[in-house]
Amino acid sequence: MKKVNDIPKSIITEKLAMLLNAFMPISEIELQELLSYCEYRHFDKGAIITHEGETEQYMNIVLQGLVVKYLKLEHHTPVLQLAVENNIVTSEISFLMRTPSQVFLEALEPTLLLSLRFDKRQQLLNDFPKGEVLSRKIMEAMYVRKDERKNRMKKLTIREQFLYYLNRNPDMLQRVPQKYLASYLNIKPETFSRLKHLVAKKSKRA
Amino acid sequence: MPTPGMNTVKPFLNYLQKFGKISETEFNQWINPYIKLRKFEKKDLITKAGEVENYFNFILEGLVRKFYLKGKSEINTQISLENHIIHSQESFHSRTPSEYSIEALEPSTLLSISYDDLERALSSNMQMEHLGRKVITFTLVLKDKWQMQMVKLSPRERFLHFVSHNPELMQRVPQKFLASFLNIKPETFSRYKHLIKAYSKSLN
Repeated sequence: MKKVNDIPKSIITEKLAMLLNAFMPISEIELQELLSYCEYRHFDKGAIITHEGETEQYMNIVLQGLVVKYLKLEHHTPVLQLAVENNIVTSEISFLMRTPSQVFLEALEPTLLLSLRFDKRQQLLNDFPKGEVLSRKIMEAMYVRKDERKNRMKKLTIREQFLYYLNRNPDMLQRVPQKYLASYLNIKPETFSRLKHLVAKKSKRA
Repeated sequence: MPTPGMNTVKPFLNYLQKFGKISETEFNQWINPYIKLRKFEKKDLITKAGEVENYFNFILEGLVRKFYLKGKSEINTQISLENHIIHSQESFHSRTPSEYSIEALEPSTLLSISYDDLERALSSNMQMEHLGRKVITFTLVLKDKWQMQMVKLSPRERFLHFVSHNPELMQRVPQKFLASFLNIKPETFSRYKHLIKAYSKSLN
């Protein structure tokens, strides 16, 4: 895994430009200004990014690596999000409401985040003309994505959910421990093992 | 169409003022021209599944539910009364067909703004963008909190939490809808009702 110093700045800016341009047109100068409010944060595999009980200070975009968001309950740890490159991840309620986080964020791989601290975000919203619009668009997109996932959980059978997810994220079987994937898709671990054959068979035939 | 009078839309102005600065004059200038008042009878469909949601709605009067079909049964995902926002958000923001239907449970009056008009209103100036972001952030947080409760609390805890926070809905909404909303079996829901008496006794 490369370290952040090894990734050329131009590639990071390019990635970010693509991501943000999906919400609204952003010029090169504006992008540089935006970046000046952000910081890069590195995490080793297994590092806890946000603890339960602490107030979330950052909103993050995953530039490299993989972040899992989960709840630690008495008898199980439901996985709420698996964030890969270009995904936004944060403990939302905590970040936005300034209350203790109920969830953990953990790096499942060596991870590089582009992070915007809460106070910097407030500054950005005040000083950067497009900040408000961009922020609203991002909130809307987060909303839509959440709803879409909820809808899939409701409408699709377990088998369909499994196939839907792994067809779109074929590398996740290699990258994520099976128990996390099973929990994220709300599938029993036994059922998950059984369903794995579907993917194996499919790729052999292809 | 004449713009509605301040007395009618005042609850929406009050609602917005919780999120940021907006004066009556600004409201009249920036928002009021885009407002439509829509009236529905009990059991009228406000939004149909399969159609793209075209309106952002604020409930001025009445009671409204949002639901989707699972097989033959209806699953309720939101039940709201006066001074709350209800629309099929995913469809509204992404401009794709709605998975949900929205229905009036009582005769209802909605303050509605169409998608295009809302974009126009929000992009007219920074103060409006700021308000728009605050409202959207608030609804996102509400949704997240609700989902967290569904995962973390037992059915019994969900029931107690809900009744203690929403006494009015308990009075106005048919029990079968509430049970589905809280994801509790109707039989279990009836059984839990005894808890309310025990609970209010323990408070005295």
